[in-house]
Amino acid sequence: MEASTPTAPRPAAAAHGDETIVRCRDVHKSFGAIQAVRGASFDINRGECFGLLGPNGAGKSTIISLIYGAASRGGGDLTVFGLDPATRSRRIKERLGVVTQDNALDEDMGVRSNMMMYARCLGIPRRERRARVDALLEEMALLHRADATIKALSGGMQRRLVFVRALLGRPDLLILDEPTTGLDPAVRLLLWEKVREMKRRGVTLLLTTHYMDEAERLCDRLVIMDQGAIRAGGSPRNLIREHCPGMVAHFDPDPDLRRQLLDTAEADASLHFGEDSAGLYIRAPDLHCLDLLIRRLGLNPGMIRPANLEDVFLAITGKELSADA
Amino acid sequence: MLETLRLSWRLTLRHWDVYRQNLLPNIAPTVSDPVFFLLALGIGLGAYLHEMEGRTYLHFLAPGLAMATAFWTAFFESSYGFFIRHTYEGIYKAVLTTPIGPREVIIGEFIWVALKGAGMASGVTLVLLVAGVIEWVWLPLVPVTGALIALTCGSIGFIATAFVKNINQFQTVYALVINPVFFFSGIFFPIGGTPALIQVLVWCSPLYHGVRIGQAALWNEAVPATLLLHGPPLLAFTAILVPLAGRLIRPKLYQ
Ligand SMILES: Nc1ncnc2c1ncn2[C@@H]1O[C@H](COP(=O)(O)OP(=O)(O)OP(=O)(O)O)[C@@H](O)[C@H]1O
Ligand SMILES: [Mg+2]
Repeated sequence: MEASTPTAPRPAAAAHGDETIVRCRDVHKSFGAIQAVRGASFDINRGECFGLLGPNGAGKSTIISLIYGAASRGGGDLTVFGLDPATRSRRIKERLGVVTQDNALDEDMGVRSNMMMYARCLGIPRRERRARVDALLEEMALLHRADATIKALSGGMQRRLVFVRALLGRPDLLILDEPTTGLDPAVRLLLWEKVREMKRRGVTLLLTTHYMDEAERLCDRLVIMDQGAIRAGGSPRNLIREHCPGMVAHFDPDPDLRRQLLDTAEADASLHFGEDSAGLYIRAPDLHCLDLLIRRLGLNPGMIRPANLEDVFLAITGKELSADA
Repeated sequence: MLETLRLSWRLTLRHWDVYRQNLLPNIAPTVSDPVFFLLALGIGLGAYLHEMEGRTYLHFLAPGLAMATAFWTAFFESSYGFFIRHTYEGIYKAVLTTPIGPREVIIGEFIWVALKGAGMASGVTLVLLVAGVIEWVWLPLVPVTGALIALTCGSIGFIATAFVKNINQFQTVYALVINPVFFFSGIFFPIGGTPALIQVLVWCSPLYHGVRIGQAALWNEAVPATLLLHGPPLLAFTAILVPLAGRLIRPKLYQ
């Protein structure tokens, strides 16, 4: 029965034990003089999608490699499925899948043989391998390229193949390290749908991303990291409410307007002025206040929108986001 | 331990899968290399040398060259091969997300190197057997000795890989370590006639001990005595170098 539905969810048997899948307490990690992670603490609960956000070099991938025991921990406590990855990574890795930040596909082999090889590494019985690989290739719309070389695949196809690889072992915990960076909107939608499907099946998800819309759509809870430490955490909605509630108006860059907005914001603590690569913006606690302000100053905003996770990110890290920095 | 070996074997199979995709093009140079050496030196140079240690130069050269195949194949696998797989292709990054850990990767690499060394030495030996330049009685010693040569030389390659900053630096290792070892391991001339200092250095070369065992076996001459004299040092080198190389290469897979 299992074999006929290759991607069927794991039976609930895997779900005994407590509800915390990853428990991270004051975790540290240095590479020589570089302190990549300095005191990270968070819990990931069963079945949720947990986001790890932060600018380049914040330490997201480092935390991920600590979770599956691919790097040694400098300090702190970490358990995954109740086991310490420093000593029990084999058992942990039997139950998790990783969409690595780099595709790291084996270019010495074709698409299907690649996946067959990983299926063997995962210990999937020989008889089941082919069916499981082909079913996932089919799900990811890659079956027609099963005999192609890796190099012949587009970036989006390669990324989908990495998803196939991560799902082969039917993981209870799926780690996604920037799963959609550099992909076109269609592929992003496809991968998001896949992530949601995994979540519906009860798979626990850990996601890192530079796209705040992605985090807002997919994550139940998230933490924002900067320079190896966690700066804030909560559900996307609560984070926005807590750190920068309200409405935002955007304007084109203009020195006089900049002065005017800056002075206004300085005089009124409920207002927040900022600049980003697109121009100037001002945030007010609600639409009514913003509207009054715009009328009072006779402004002509380019766009008005509710505050979002991007504003939270900016407020916390002081950094603008870019996926390709 | 059994579980470790099972996981390691999966990585070894990955290398075999890749290798067998192009089996003939992969094997051809490994076999043709020593054969051309043998033809050029054995027949070309041999025309001027009446004999060496009581046999034609062709017959003198043949066993040593066969054993050296294991040496070369092991060096290339553990240096350029591993470096490319690790740094350029990044294949271990994905493998390490499966239950296979750094330890299993290293053991799997060593198994691959040993099997390839054994296979290559045996393949060349079979060619030489068909050509009628060696004796067959002690043939089973060839894969075993080939594997031990490959393990020791593979260790040297892995140790080099642990230290090089870029792939070009292997050229230095090749020029200053691998080549001298190759030329001073009793393949081309008996070490007995060289100055004492060189003889001492040659004793530190695992290849030398392997070559001597191969020569004894394939000349069918004083095999038990040679095994007693050169077997223990070859095993000792294996026992020292393999764990040392494993320890040094580990940071490449686990930081
Ligand atoms: N193997 C390594 N050796 C040395 N330094 C490293 C290594 N891996 C990561 N670092 C450093 O640790 C810090 C955190 O890196 P990490 O890759 O975890 O960041 P990240 O949040 O994943 O960034 P990005 O969004 O760019 O992927 C960086 O300063 C990085 O240079
Ligand atoms: Mg990263």
